[in-house]
Amino acid sequence: MAAAGSSWLVFGFSTEEAAGEPGPGLGPRRLEPGPGGIRRVWPAWSYVVVETGAGLELRSAGRRQRLRGWREALPSETHVVLRGAAAARAWRRGAGLRSAAWSRFLPRGPAPRPLPLLPGGFALPRPPFYRALPAGLRARSLALGTEHVLLLGTGGDVHAWGGGRHGQLGHGTLESEAQPRLVEALAGVPMAAVAAGGWHSASVSEAGDLYMWGWNESGQLALPCKALAEERAQGEEAGAGAAALSPCPEPPEAEATTFISIQALPALLDLPQEPEVSGVSCGSRHTAAVTRGGELYTWGWGKYGQLGHGDDASSDCPRRVEHLVAQGLWAEAVVCGPWTTYVCVREPPDPPSSTADCSEDPAAGTCLGPTLPSAPQDQTCSDSVPPEPNSEPQVGLQLHEG
Amino acid sequence: MAAPVGAEAPAAGPGALWAEVRALLPGTEGEFTLALSGEVDPCVRPLLRRARGLLYGAEGPAGGEAAALRRLGHVLRDYSWEKLNAGPWQEVSKAWRQVYTYGCLFGALAEISAGCPPVSAVRLCDMGLLMGASVLDNVLGRLVRVLQQHLPRERRGAAGLAAEKARPEPRPAPAVRPEEELPRLRCPSLESFRDKHLIPQKPVVLEGIMDHWPCMRKWSVDYICQVAGCRTVPVELGSRYTDEEWSQKLMTVDDFIGQYIVNEKSMGYLAQHQLFDQIPELKEDISIPDYCCLGEGEEEHITINAWFGPEGTISPLHQDPQQNFLAQVFGRKYIRLYSPQDSENLYPHESQILHNTSQVDVENPDLVKFPNFRKAAFQSCVLMPGQVLFIPVKYWHYVRSLDVSFSVSFWWS
Repeated sequence: MAAAGSSWLVFGFSTEEAAGEPGPGLGPRRLEPGPGGIRRVWPAWSYVVVETGAGLELRSAGRRQRLRGWREALPSETHVVLRGAAAARAWRRGAGLRSAAWSRFLPRGPAPRPLPLLPGGFALPRPPFYRALPAGLRARSLALGTEHVLLLGTGGDVHAWGGGRHGQLGHGTLESEAQPRLVEALAGVPMAAVAAGGWHSASVSEAGDLYMWGWNESGQLALPCKALAEERAQGEEAGAGAAALSPCPEPPEAEATTFISIQALPALLDLPQEPEVSGVSCGSRHTAAVTRGGELYTWGWGKYGQLGHGDDASSDCPRRVEHLVAQGLWAEAVVCGPWTTYVCVREPPDPPSSTADCSEDPAAGTCLGPTLPSAPQDQTCSDSVPPEPNSEPQVGLQLHEG
Repeated sequence: MAAPVGAEAPAAGPGALWAEVRALLPGTEGEFTLALSGEVDPCVRPLLRRARGLLYGAEGPAGGEAAALRRLGHVLRDYSWEKLNAGPWQEVSKAWRQVYTYGCLFGALAEISAGCPPVSAVRLCDMGLLMGASVLDNVLGRLVRVLQQHLPRERRGAAGLAAEKARPEPRPAPAVRPEEELPRLRCPSLESFRDKHLIPQKPVVLEGIMDHWPCMRKWSVDYICQVAGCRTVPVELGSRYTDEEWSQKLMTVDDFIGQYIVNEKSMGYLAQHQLFDQIPELKEDISIPDYCCLGEGEEEHITINAWFGPEGTISPLHQDPQQNFLAQVFGRKYIRLYSPQDSENLYPHESQILHNTSQVDVENPDLVKFPNFRKAAFQSCVLMPGQVLFIPVKYWHYVRSLDVSFSVSFWWS
């Protein structure tokens, strides 16, 4: 979890713009820390749930709601699922109802796996809110895309199922799968993390290699994207500046380029200088990765500034986010919302060295991992119902206690 | 409707255009209901309301408000685009398509109020017509008609003129043996067609049906370019839809004609597109064959598709779930038909997406891989301008164009 000295930056579409208000512009924004800093974030499109030292908080344009007693969130634009010590519950967004749309009691036990995983299955931020998993499948983590699901097993194996029309399952076809199916192409390479975007997938191996598959319509797989190449060509013809175009540092020869629209099998990705990847996250149509050297790379759809380069260009090759380098910030973890990128940063340990061992400082730690904050005092099943947001956004802070 | 030759140009200046456009919208904000055919995510309606509010300000969106309206258009289109792609097209809710249409409307209005050339607004209207669903009494269709009148009058580009040059020697048609040839009938009666072809499900070439269709005397590549040149349409790129490199791309009719009809640097086909819903002016040049009244469905449910492409376009052997009248307007097409009873000899693809398509290349079959194909009996024809081919339900058909060709298909039940 984020230690003192860490903070979160966010790039991309703001919660203000999601409410129809003017946005703060393309630059990075620092998340207001709240009490005890921000440990984890769960972004939706128009709001984000953050975990502070005082518990969960729901932040949307101009307002904040305390979510007392809850520990984890799984947000969507239609519902928010919250998980506490003894129950998981879902509420409708934007409706006047005060009762939960769904509720499930959870057995007490050892440190639970992170949402969306639940005992025996996983949660969804929309009806039916819960799906069982086959008994034999031992899951370490699970990621939800728009139409598909990725599961990382305790043995480092990856399963994928759901809609497959865009190759996002990685089984080599465009067929959908009703049940979890092993991604054979990755068998034999133990994986450490998986991430799912709108229609694309990513996994990081224990060794720090990044694999991607699925839809490449905006270059989100870091494979040559025809639409982007054509935009670049038109931009050159018109003599326009590179404002909306983002060519790769070493463009491939024009004749040799095979454009890829759908990659139905996992492909190994090469980042510049081939660093080891420590974390990856996927938005609707973009991807962000953090390296063991504390750098942040992004690629894919960039129209709302979510790639963090200070412009609205999309890119089909990974670009380092220079703002962090310029500010001397070390990227620890990254979490993508649909059109946003949240990165946890801190000052580098001194002296900075390429083999810095972050674990020397016991107070430091990565923002990844399933460790939970110390439980708040309030653990009863009558955990508070978050008040329903009003239909009009309210200016200023509103701290609601259920 | 495009301005007729010799007509006065519409009143000049962006102010006049904005006034005409503004007249297409409801008079007051209260009458602009933002109705949707179903539920959408709660974040959407506030954005729609804000965009509507910008429109009904004192002088319409001016200056900074046009920028805000444009931005809202982008957000609405991008948000709903993700919903449009979130499952099979048939399952996409009409409400999300309507949101996309509103996004196109607000974007087009922002372009116009900012004084941008009408082509950018036309493109946005077309995106909404192609992927959205009608709102405000087909406001996008009404808007694009107004915009087309304000486009520069000079529409004959190099593409149009070059297309008029005839091919020195029309490509010879493949031989059709008499025993394979499809029968031809001239204007059969409804009963005769029903009893001899529709009920027994036997294909036939009908002649004389199209004689009075205006398209037979009006349509040419150049005419299509004049009426629809600035409109955006989906084009299929690649030799055939079963190929790996096959893809679809949106482009204007001008670009399509320039790149794929005149120059033919690679294969492009404006195929299976409901062009006549998008461009009602062209619909007035065709008619629905009378024999469609023998079907059970309503006339509104008849799907009319345009098929416009260079010589050499190929539709691989496949079957469709409805009856089909394929009307040939200009150019010739070589067509082969196989009965559904021969389906086993035609080796349909296993995958769900291509299950209606044969794996066999009809004019160059791999008889080692597909030995039973030689057992399949077929009929064929060279479909000439003015002829209409009746393709019964699920009848396998293979089509290759022998010239620059324009066909219109009618799918009915």
